[in-house]
Amino acid sequence: MNIIEIEHLKKYYGEVKAVDDVSFSVEKGEFFAFLGVNGAGKSTTISVLCGQQSRTGGSVKVAGKDVDEAPAEIRRKIGVVFQNSALDKSLSVRDNLKYRAALYGVTGREFEEKLRELTAQFGLKDLLKRPVGKLSGGQRRRADIARALVHSPEILILDEPTTGLDPQTRKSVWETVNAIRRVRGVTVFLTTHYMEEAADADRVVILDGGKILANATPLELKNNYTGDFITLYGAKEEDVRALGLSYEKVGEALRIAVADTAAATELIVKYPRLFTDYEITKGKMDDVFLAVTGKRGTE
Amino acid sequence: MKTLSYLIARNCKVYFRDKGVFFTSLLAPLILLFLFVAFLGNVYRDSIRSVAEGIPLSDALVESIAAGWLISSLLAVCTVTIAFTANIIMVQDRVNGQAADLFVTPVPRSLVALGYFISTFLVTSIVCFVALGAGFIYIGVAGWNLSAADILLTVADTLLLTLFGTALSSVVCHFLRSQGAVTGVQATVSAAYGFLCGAYIPIGNLATGLKNAIMFLPGTYGTGLVHAHLMGGAISAVGEGLPPEAAAQIVKGMKDGFDCNLYFFGGAVPPWTCYLVLAAATLLLIGVYVALCARRRR
Repeated sequence: MNIIEIEHLKKYYGEVKAVDDVSFSVEKGEFFAFLGVNGAGKSTTISVLCGQQSRTGGSVKVAGKDVDEAPAEIRRKIGVVFQNSALDKSLSVRDNLKYRAALYGVTGREFEEKLRELTAQFGLKDLLKRPVGKLSGGQRRRADIARALVHSPEILILDEPTTGLDPQTRKSVWETVNAIRRVRGVTVFLTTHYMEEAADADRVVILDGGKILANATPLELKNNYTGDFITLYGAKEEDVRALGLSYEKVGEALRIAVADTAAATELIVKYPRLFTDYEITKGKMDDVFLAVTGKRGTE
Repeated sequence: MKTLSYLIARNCKVYFRDKGVFFTSLLAPLILLFLFVAFLGNVYRDSIRSVAEGIPLSDALVESIAAGWLISSLLAVCTVTIAFTANIIMVQDRVNGQAADLFVTPVPRSLVALGYFISTFLVTSIVCFVALGAGFIYIGVAGWNLSAADILLTVADTLLLTLFGTALSSVVCHFLRSQGAVTGVQATVSAAYGFLCGAYIPIGNLATGLKNAIMFLPGTYGTGLVHAHLMGGAISAVGEGLPPEAAAQIVKGMKDGFDCNLYFFGGAVPPWTCYLVLAAATLLLIGVYVALCARRRR
């Protein structure tokens, strides 16, 4: 069952076509990734989806209802974590959650119960009384996500949630998001320009210049848009060059591009002296993105 | 209503938690009071004696009239300038992305706008009533000549002027998109408003053209009301012991000289008209604010 259905969505700013005839759907409970560089149209699509901006054309439905016809009802189904934290830095984590919950009618005892649940799930117990301005980047992101879930939404929209975070904090944020999916079964709609963050998604849409260029599972994308790669260790570059195949240096190794796994096997069997220390891998999402858009993404 | 109360509570808490902004708001009237007393006190005392046209006034009475002028001027200015400071929450929310975040909730934008308006009014009222309390103490020390009616009317004036300041600042701040713009507007309003509303210099001392121009600004009528209610008792005391006709003449002369009585192109403006002008201007500004918010929604 589709929880989000977008058909022929257009959003123009005068001559600029921020989103141009975009159609896709998201299944309930799915981990959906919207992949694109800055300015691809990801945030504009989310703004229209959340009812923040009007659209030039097309239809946007959430749980079967048009966002213009039942905006308040739809907004109750959505929790959003923006790229820039929207928490009040001078207020405590508890106050931030309390004032947010009240906007959805969650107050009093109902809020206290919700607070206990979120505190346990996000490890916020020691942070509740601390002003948000004094939290680390990772702690603040956890509080951001908890705040977006305070009204138990069906869809969690994460708009570039890890931009600007260090690798350790990014890992911690993803552990939190994965735990939410396991425990709550919530639909996660991720926008990102980090290619590898989209690799774990159930479905990936690649957006560029306001248009959808690809829409498939990560495996389908890798199979359709990239070949396999043999990473070869301890070989001489002139020997690899003699193969007449495309390759690149990756540290001390050489990474040879081949059409698929069968071609890799054939090559290894043909040159057993050359291929003594190697590994075969599928292409990365970055390779997919490069093949689809012609642009190098952010790993 | 419950949602609105949470929005207001959040806005007020964010304002008062920002100690820099809060203390600046509290300091503004206190600095103004200090500057008035330190630099303009003697100017006003001399002015009071000259307007009294040779009638010997006791030092206590001069101090009482001067205190009434200082505090009423301070209130007239602060009700507007503090409102501009308090409305910073609305602009900050826009700059920091909190406004966009609020608009993904089911809360109507009109309720969010109302929340900003009411919290600005509350914050401004709190700071201005603290200033008024300090002002009453200052007047008490200088020489108390206020009746219960004067006190009640001053409270009403403060509330109405605060509402006017809130409406004016809400309209202006609606167009601001950066912290720098807010600071610039605050600085401009703080510097100019006192002159434009007749708080710093009695209107009678201005050139005729400027005098008439200032009478087209609604803030002037609010300033006139607080002048009348905080100075009226002390000025009336000037006439005590004088023949009734002479007393009436000298009291009227002093009230005219210190803007307790206002004149629009020579015609006297009664107090009820002052209230009417201020209330109408406030309602008009609120209407403009509502229209601006509605236009943005579309």
